[in-house]
Order: sequence, then structure tokens, then C-alpha cells
Amino acid sequence: MKVTIKSWTGVASWRWIANDENCGICRMSFESTCPECALPGDDCPLVWGVCSHCFHMHCIVKWLNLQPLNKQCPMCRQSWKFNIH
Amino acid sequence: MLRAIGKRDRDIFDEVWPEKRKIVLKLLRQETVSQREWQDLFFGVHFVCLWDEKGAAKIYDGLQQDIVEFIVQAQSKVQAQRGEQALLATYIVEWRKFFTQSNYLPLPFRQLEQSPQVKPPSGSGSASGSGSSTSAASTSNAAAAAGGSSSSNQAASSSSSSTKASTSAAAAAATSSSGGASSTTSAASNSASAASSSKKGITEDSPVRKLMLDSWNKHIFHDIKDRLQESAMKIVHAERNGDAYDAQLVVGVRESYVNLSSNAEDKLEIYREHFEKAYLKATADFYRLKSTEQQQENGVLAYMKYADAKLREEEVRAKRYLEPSSFNILTCRLVKVLIVDHLNSIIAECPALIRDYETDRLNLMFRLMDRVLDGEGVEAMMGDLQRHIKSAGLADMQSASEIITQDSEKYVERLLELFNKFSDLVRNAFNDDPRFLTARDIAFKMVVNDTSVFKMELPTSIANRGVKYTAPESKCPELLANYCDMLLRRTPLSKRLTSEQIDARLRDVLLVLKYVNNKDVFMRYHKVHLTRRLILGTSADSEKEEDIVEWLREVGMPADYVNRLARMFQDIKVSEDLNTQFRNSISRHDAINIKILNAGAWARCSERVSVSLPIELEDYIPDVEEFYKKKHSGRKLQWYHHMSNGTITFVNNFGRYDLDVTTFQMAVLFAWNQRQHDKISYENLRLATELPDPELRRTLWSLVAFPKIKKQILLMEPTAIGSPKDFAENTMFYINQEFAIVKNGKSQRRGKLNLIGRLQLSTERSQQEDNQSIVQLRILRTQEAIIKIMKVRKRMNNAALQAELIDILKNMFLPSKKMIKEQLEWLIEHKYMRRDDDDINMFIYVA
Repeated sequence: MKVTIKSWTGVASWRWIANDENCGICRMSFESTCPECALPGDDCPLVWGVCSHCFHMHCIVKWLNLQPLNKQCPMCRQSWKFNIH
Repeated sequence: MLRAIGKRDRDIFDEVWPEKRKIVLKLLRQETVSQREWQDLFFGVHFVCLWDEKGAAKIYDGLQQDIVEFIVQAQSKVQAQRGEQALLATYIVEWRKFFTQSNYLPLPFRQLEQSPQVKPPSGSGSASGSGSSTSAASTSNAAAAAGGSSSSNQAASSSSSSTKASTSAAAAAATSSSGGASSTTSAASNSASAASSSKKGITEDSPVRKLMLDSWNKHIFHDIKDRLQESAMKIVHAERNGDAYDAQLVVGVRESYVNLSSNAEDKLEIYREHFEKAYLKATADFYRLKSTEQQQENGVLAYMKYADAKLREEEVRAKRYLEPSSFNILTCRLVKVLIVDHLNSIIAECPALIRDYETDRLNLMFRLMDRVLDGEGVEAMMGDLQRHIKSAGLADMQSASEIITQDSEKYVERLLELFNKFSDLVRNAFNDDPRFLTARDIAFKMVVNDTSVFKMELPTSIANRGVKYTAPESKCPELLANYCDMLLRRTPLSKRLTSEQIDARLRDVLLVLKYVNNKDVFMRYHKVHLTRRLILGTSADSEKEEDIVEWLREVGMPADYVNRLARMFQDIKVSEDLNTQFRNSISRHDAINIKILNAGAWARCSERVSVSLPIELEDYIPDVEEFYKKKHSGRKLQWYHHMSNGTITFVNNFGRYDLDVTTFQMAVLFAWNQRQHDKISYENLRLATELPDPELRRTLWSLVAFPKIKKQILLMEPTAIGSPKDFAENTMFYINQEFAIVKNGKSQRRGKLNLIGRLQLSTERSQQEDNQSIVQLRILRTQEAIIKIMKVRKRMNNAALQAELIDILKNMFLPSKKMIKEQLEWLIEHKYMRRDDDDINMFIYVA
């Protein structure tokens, strides 16, 4: 008797790899969404700054729009740049 | 005439009036009056009023005398008649003559209207005059005024009927104005002013006309009105009994009643108080007797036909004999006598008729009852219908409970059959009347949500709160979801049906779903089934899958729920693209598929289950993870092995088979790959697979006792084990070397077999939690809804809050009173809101 695998369908979900539990702006868990969204996942993504801080994209964009001059990270006050991997 | 100036007042009247009086008498008798005489009368009246201070009063008195005298003569003519018909006929002739004259005679005496000596008419002229007589009078007035300048025609020869007179007068007016005499303009302006004032009704305001009608009323009508009425009613009565009579006689009497009124504001006063009253009474008396007789002789069912026929007949008759204002009153009275008085005996037949589906008779009964104003009869019928649907529906379900509790297809089909039957009944018997549709819906709701045939037990509160009650709920939504699954999955059922048939059935499911109280249960099961179909790729038609999502949206399922379903399809599509990219990147993984899901959208994947995967798979996994990391930075994959599945090739001495298995089954079978002939104990299998106990039991059971196959893959020792719970640590399992797929009694050497079967894609524990999580979700939804309402309203009393709450939640489930109360208490305890200090039933939102 022998058993061999012919094909296999693996099922997985994904989660964010963030260095924190909660978003520093809205204080909501990264596992869930920013306050405006209903469904976690692709619709409410996370973004990282070069300073390595991480927020809901909706939250940080809103924050940056509120800063008239220096666009800074709300956590470390370094000037904010999106970290595009 | 001018010589009369200077004479004493008294003389002027005495000199002028006797001549004029003759003309008046001629007019009354409808004899021919020449134009000259007609004009003289105008002049005479004017002259007397001008020169005699009391002239107007004198003329009025003189006129009254003559009119009364004339009436008395007419009366004696009428009274002389003995026979009923002759009496009516004579009266009508006399009355019509007199009435015609009442439109003309007042014209010369308009001067009297200005005189304070003559009592003015009681009412100011309203526009409600009978059009023909008014306009005829006005034109003839204009003609008479115009005729003063040029005399050519025998105008106003009023022996003809009123219409004739008016046309000849109009013609006279036309000729006179075309004659081009000096007074043409004045005639024109005169006629214009007459035309404008005609709207007010010239003769109707006239005291003379009032005098005429009042005199007639007093001297003739008053004496014989009872006889008149009686005669008319006798004719109607005879007609009802089938004898033919001259209907015109009755019509004539009615006309005299209507026209006799000199009260301009309410022309129908006399008619209403006498004729209508008598007619109503006669009608009611007639049918009161007849209806009882009919019912006793022919029974209630035949009586309904009789009543219906008579109601129509009387409506036609009323159009002939009554003024339009009386129609409703008469119908009302008839309905009372023919229906309301027999309401109970008619209604008593209703349940039997419904039971026997006697749609025609029910329809008749409905039409009769619909005439009853307060709707009492219709309400009773609705109650009967509702009771019937409920009891018949439940009886039907109960009698078939053996089959339908096992088979969701049969259950749904049975339910739809019932529903269609009742809908037909409502359509045929009650014309789809909204009230009966509501009654049907209420009853159907009761059938669907009934818990006596099937129920599922839901804990009413969360387990850790101590006492655990269960509240039974209908299993209907679960069965509906199962049925949906059968239609949407590749099953014998869905293969048998055409695409249109499947669509129709899915629509039917949604129809029934409308009546289900706890739709959240349906949603939950539907989602579980959908998850299964999408993960295992067993959908019969992916287009239909997406259609039904839209349909669910259309029937009012909560948007976030429907959005999540849509999201699931999106995930599957994205995963397909991902798969292609993955295969292109690494050539050696052709056999691998990946499905990456958004955690929030799918049926709750509960906790992850650890499993020791076959070595080949362990090799694949890092490649997949590496690939995904490159595609999506910042993300990490979490494997759901309880959902993973695959196909394995199983080779033994007998043949070679492709088996569809879950990853857990795969892990178990791979335990024998290195030691094919060994017997492995349960304990060792657990060590080898690392599966949690409940999962291992379930998986092993599916391999030793898979339903409906002759030869199982695994065998066990001891053999007499009845359920997965009875596996002991030392129960031994070994590969069935004789395994083969058996078809038509023959063992096949090749073949394909699906061993996943009905295995849940969820874990054992989450299955147990299913019902509890439904309740948990309800609690959250209730809290959320209460806060939502209170945030807007700020202050609200208990009853209003509950009503609004149910309105918000009804598309998901019906919150029980108990649950609402508990959640209110919880919210108060946690300071989301508080009770009013003065009113314990008033809640106040606390920000």
C-alpha cells in the first residue's frame, strides 16, 4: 500500500505583521479596522512609515491632512515617509 | 295710464289689477298668453308698485288668493281619483303643469322682490339650482325684455313645456336684437345682466315662486302626501314581487317631492323627509321579511346568492327611483337588513367553506361582507382563514414529520406546496385582498416558526452566567439553508434540475425565508454551506452563487452580512490569480492550490488546529509563505488546515484509487506510509498526527465508517465500536488491504472516491459553539441597536424603544422580551443609559 499526494488545496488567512497591537491613532486593534470601516482586511490596510511605525492607512492619511506644515509621524515626530517595501 | 297719476293709491291697484289678474289666471291654467298681455303684466306690476305705496303687498295678496284657488281646484281633481295609479297619474300631471308655471309666473313680479312689504325668501340664492329651469327662465326673461321694442313673434306662448318655451323665447330675443331697433343695446345689456345673474337663479329667489310652492305644499301635498307615498311604495312593492308597473309614476312622485322644495339651501329637504324615508322603510320591511323566509327555505348558502342578487337589483332600482344622494343610505340600510342581521349565520359557514376550498362561495361571502361598513364580517372571515391555515399547515407538517425532519428538500417542497395552496385560496376566494394577504402571512409565519415539529435548542443566556435555559426555535431556517446548499452544490438534485428550475426554487426559498423570524440562523448556515462549497470547489454554478447573494440583498438581509458574502467570492477570485502567479514562479508546485481568505468575511474560523502534515506538504508550505510575503509585505499567513483538502492516490494490491480527503484524513493515512501492514493504536496515531482528540476521533470515524461504501479504508480492533466517542487509547487501526471501490456489486480496480462527504469544515468545538455564538451575536446586535436608537432619541419610554428595536432587528431575528430586558439592564449597569428618576419606564441616554 502506498499513499501519494496528487494535489492539495491549502487554506489560509492572513494577518498584519505589526510591531504593535493597536493603531497609535485610533487605538483600535490592527486585527480590526479603523473606526470608519466595517470589514478588516484589504479594505482597511495598514501602512508603515520609514520610522517603522505602523497605522491604519485611513488613520494616518487623515492625520497627515490635518498637519498644515510638517508632516510628522504622530508617534516619534520624525517627518513622515511611507515605507514602500 | 299716466292719467292714473294723482289718483289715490287704492284706486290705482283696483284699476290696474283686475285686468292683470286675468292674465295671471291664464298663465296658471297654461292657456295661451299673447305677447302683448305678457308685457302688460310686467308693466302693470311695475306701475302699481311705482305709484301705490302698498302696491307690492296688495299684488302679493291678490296673487296668493289666485294661486290658492287654482291649487284647490287641482286638488279636487286629484282627490277625485280612487285608484292608486289613477291618483298618481293625475297628481303628476297637475303637478308638472303647476311646476312649469312656477318658473314663469314669478318673472313679471320681480318688482316685488325689492319691496320690503313682501317677506323676503328665507335663503339667499345658492348656485345649486336645477340648471335647466334656471337658464330657461333667464333666457325667457331676456326675451321678454327685448321683445318690448319690436313685436313680431308670439313669444312666451307658454302653453308648451318649459324647454319649448325657452327655445322660442330665445328665438324671439335673437330676432328682436337683429331688428336693429333703438333699444338693441339696452336689450343686449339687459340680457347680459340677466345671464350673469342667472347663475344665482332668478326665479328661485323669487317670493312668488316660493309662494307658489309653499301654497302647493300646504294645500295639496300636505293632505295627500301619505296617499301618494303609499301608492308609490305599493308600486315598488309590486315590482319587487315581479309585477310590472309604470315606473314613471314613481319617478313622477319623486320629482314632485324634489321640486316642491322652496328651500334653496337644501332642495332635497322635503324629498328626504318623506319620500326617501318611506322608500327606505318599505325596502327594509320588505327584505326583513323576505330574507328570513329565504334563509329558512333555502339555507344560508343559497341565501348568500339571494342577498347578492337583491343588492344589485336594488342598486339598479334606486338609480331609477331615488335621488343620487340616497344611494348610499339605501345601500347601507339594505346591507343591514340583508347581511348584518344575518351575519352570524353566514359567518358560521365560513370555516367549512375554507376547509373545502369552496372559492366561489367564499368569494361571494367576501363580497357580501365587504359591504358591511365596520368590517366585522371581513374580520371574522380573516380570523377563520388564519386559523385554518395555521391548523391545516401544522397538521400537514406533523403528519409528514417523519420524512420532512430528515429531508430538507421534502420539507421545503412541502412548505411551498402549502404556501401555494393557501395563496391560491386567497387569490381565488378573496381577490388577493390586502387584508386577507396579511392574514395569510400571519398564519404562515406561525407555521414556519412553529416549534412543535422541529426545533433547535438555543441557550437563552451565555453559559457562564450560571443557569442555562434553552429556548426552542424552529429549525426552518436551518433546513432552508440546507435546501439552498443542495440546489447550489453539485448534487443529484441540482443535476436533475434545469437552471431555470433551480432559480425558481431558490426564489421559493427566499419567499419562505420572508416568514422566518430568526433569519440570522439561516444566514449562519448559508454561510457555512457557502464556505464549504467555495473551499471544496463544489458549486454547481458559480454565477448562481453570486445571483443569490444579490437576491438576499433584495429581500432585505442586512447589508453588512451580504457584503461579507460578496467578499468571499472576491477572495476566491483573488486567490485564483495568486495561484497562477505562484505556479509560474515555482515550477515544481503544480499540485498546490492556495486559497487566501479575509479573516473577517468568512464563517468564523474559530481556533487554529495543529496538525503534523505529511512531509511533502511540510516542504510546500514555506515556499507558499515566502511567495506570499513577496506579494504582500507586512502580512503573515495563518493556515487553516481544518479547511485544507486534497486528492491522494491510494495504491494497494487490488488497485489504484484517487481519494478526495481532508488534510486531517491525509495526515492520518500518511501514518501508515512507512509501515503499511502495522496496526497502530489510537494513542500512537495521536502522537503521529498531533491532532486534538475530538478532531482525531472524527477523522478516524470517517475512515472506518464512511457512510454508503461497502469497503472502508481503515479497519479497527475491536470491531464493535458504535461511535467515535467509544474509541479507546488502545483501539487498534490498520489499513484495509482489500479496500476497493465497489460499483454494481463489483470491485473496481480504478476509481475516484470523495471521503470528505459531509464532514464539517469547522472543528468539533466550534460546532458545539455554533448555537451559542448565534445567541452571543444576538446579544451584541441588541445592545448595538439599543445604543443606536438611544443616541438619536436621547429619551425614550420602554414601549417605544422595544417597538423600534424590533423594527431594526426584524431582518435578523426577533429579540425576546427577556433578552431585551436583560440587555437594557446590562447597559444601565454599565452606564450607557439610565432610568428616569420619576418614571421607571423612561430611559435616558448617557453620553
